[in-house]
Amino acid sequence: MRLLKQMGRDLLASRELAWRLMVRDISAQYRQSFLGVIWAFLPPIVMAAGFTLASDAGAIAVGATDLPYPAYVMFSTALWQTFVEALNGPVQAVTTAKPMLAKVNFPREAIILAKLGEVFFNFAIKLILIVGLFIWFRVAVSWTVILAPVALIHLILFGTFVGVLLAPLGILYQDVSKGLTMITGFWLFLTPVVFPVPSEGTFGFLVRLNPVTPLLVTTRELATTGVMSDPAGFWIASIVTIVGLLLTWVVFRLAMPFVIERVSS
Amino acid sequence: MTLVDREISIQSEETEVVISVKDVSKKFCRDLRRSLLYGVRDIATELMGGKRKETLRSQEFWALRDVNFELRRGQALGLVGANGAGKSTLLRIISGLIKPDIGTVKIKGRVAPLIALGAGFNPLLTGRENIYANMSILGLSTQEIEARFQEVIDFAEIWDAIDAPVQNYSSGMAARLGFACAIHTEPEILLIDEVLAVGDIKFKAKCYRKLHQLRQQGTSFVLVNHNPQAILSVCDSAIYLVKGELIASGNTDAVIEKYEEDLFLDSKKITSQVMYLSEKSASESFGLDITHLCFRNIEGEIIQSLKSGEFASFCVGCKAHHKCDNVTLHVKIKEIGGEGGTGAVLFLSGENDDRFFEILPGKHEIRLQMPYLGLAPGTYTTIVKLKQNSIYTFDVFESFRFTVGSDGKMSQCKFYQPRTWQIVGGDRVE
Repeated sequence: MRLLKQMGRDLLASRELAWRLMVRDISAQYRQSFLGVIWAFLPPIVMAAGFTLASDAGAIAVGATDLPYPAYVMFSTALWQTFVEALNGPVQAVTTAKPMLAKVNFPREAIILAKLGEVFFNFAIKLILIVGLFIWFRVAVSWTVILAPVALIHLILFGTFVGVLLAPLGILYQDVSKGLTMITGFWLFLTPVVFPVPSEGTFGFLVRLNPVTPLLVTTRELATTGVMSDPAGFWIASIVTIVGLLLTWVVFRLAMPFVIERVSS
Repeated sequence: MTLVDREISIQSEETEVVISVKDVSKKFCRDLRRSLLYGVRDIATELMGGKRKETLRSQEFWALRDVNFELRRGQALGLVGANGAGKSTLLRIISGLIKPDIGTVKIKGRVAPLIALGAGFNPLLTGRENIYANMSILGLSTQEIEARFQEVIDFAEIWDAIDAPVQNYSSGMAARLGFACAIHTEPEILLIDEVLAVGDIKFKAKCYRKLHQLRQQGTSFVLVNHNPQAILSVCDSAIYLVKGELIASGNTDAVIEKYEEDLFLDSKKITSQVMYLSEKSASESFGLDITHLCFRNIEGEIIQSLKSGEFASFCVGCKAHHKCDNVTLHVKIKEIGGEGGTGAVLFLSGENDDRFFEILPGKHEIRLQMPYLGLAPGTYTTIVKLKQNSIYTFDVFESFRFTVGSDGKMSQCKFYQPRTWQIVGGDRVE
């Protein structure tokens, strides 16, 4: 109980610092980039172009999607990218902040929060692309779109949950960030980003077992059709996320001093 | 350890304790791979709520062992010890960065570590943005930063460059900005780890003035420094660490004296400073032999430990087999392990001073009197030669070693200057 109180206090205390760090990181990021914001748009567009070409040429067989295929890929990729950012965020954040962590004792939650803020900021930019996309392809939007952010937040929190769990290990071992890159590459194929949710076979089973699937699909459905195809899956994944995140937060807090003593200044 | 007890009882009970370190031990591992593995295991143990073992695992050593001390509000504590004695580890434990394996640390108030100047500076951002980021890392709210912003810039003296990216700053400017940020967080406890060597002399003086001002305002200090003089002048008490263990604590003078003694003696204590040489037979001898070497005080007694600035006479015992004339003594002193390289620190010859002796058969002692020993604390080796004129050498002794001890006043300099101080007033000054 005392721990929870302390956690809450530190979270409140780290608000301002997190904001500062976020502003610092984002402005530094864009100051050193010529294309700047365009980097948020390019990957989904390139991905959509590639898969649309391949699908049109019949090189890959994609089932029917409830959106025009390029829009489907672009929208899903944007969501997937946001998830990956949330997943990599904590590990990246603690690795880059290593010298700072080793020297100053500040609420460690701040760097995670700052990264989380950055993920939301980047998504906000992608939102411009998505809105443009919906207008261009005349995608019908249901009233449920106002609920879509809830699902999106759950998606991002799931990424953060896994990320925070790995973060302390990520400071100690470089294997974590390397492995993470590889795993996200594979994970993409188990997530209905460039294909609709498969219904049969081992592959279909694996895809449905993937907790990202219900979260990402629900976000997409709420924004477009308004019909949730797998509400049970969504809620299970959401509860796992929330409970998991709270637990990993405790783990993170307890583990950080040990990790910091091993990296030294 | 008796020193510790006395010190604590002397301290007034009115001021509150701001740092209390009790039985703190910390172990580190020499092997990186193993160290990381131990780290993971420690985390697992901590998560399971298990107790940490008090024994060392393979390749581990105690970086700190049973360290105890207290610091009260407004006091300054000096931390001395050789490299790797655990000073920085102790500071990191105090600042809360790492947890001790055994023992507890209690802190009251905001701790500002001046170990971490410019933590979180992003080279791409401007000085202004970095001040905000850095000071909020150090725990200030935005309003507090805004209130101090101008002061920080004034202190760091970077008015023109405040909107330029920090990567374009000179290293001195960046360091100044870092120091200014840290010092303006107005901490209750300052941890200073040999960082004051930033900027030019003028800025350094400014830093010291600021620290002095903070000290007047009741900020507590923990100061780590290799320069004992700095600690002597600032701290009320000091602790001396050797390989993680607290060797001495209490009154600064006493602790520093102990530290300097150990530093110069380098663990090999030369207890008796007399050297007796085996006698040579008449056939081996060149006519005059060195029989013993020692130092004597003004009363003629053999000195066990030399001190800078005190009277000492270097005595060379000799035995003449026949009458020798025009005998001179040459003494060449070199420092062992000093920074001065291989050159001699001191070369004294009777020839240069025009001191020639006539020695009759029998035993004698040539005394080279030094009213004030000018050598700094350290260990020296001496080459002693007995010569006739400048060509003929009677006898040589290549390595007479002796040690000059410290009285705590000779730490920043190379030789002892005999001196007197006075103040001349009014009309006698032109």
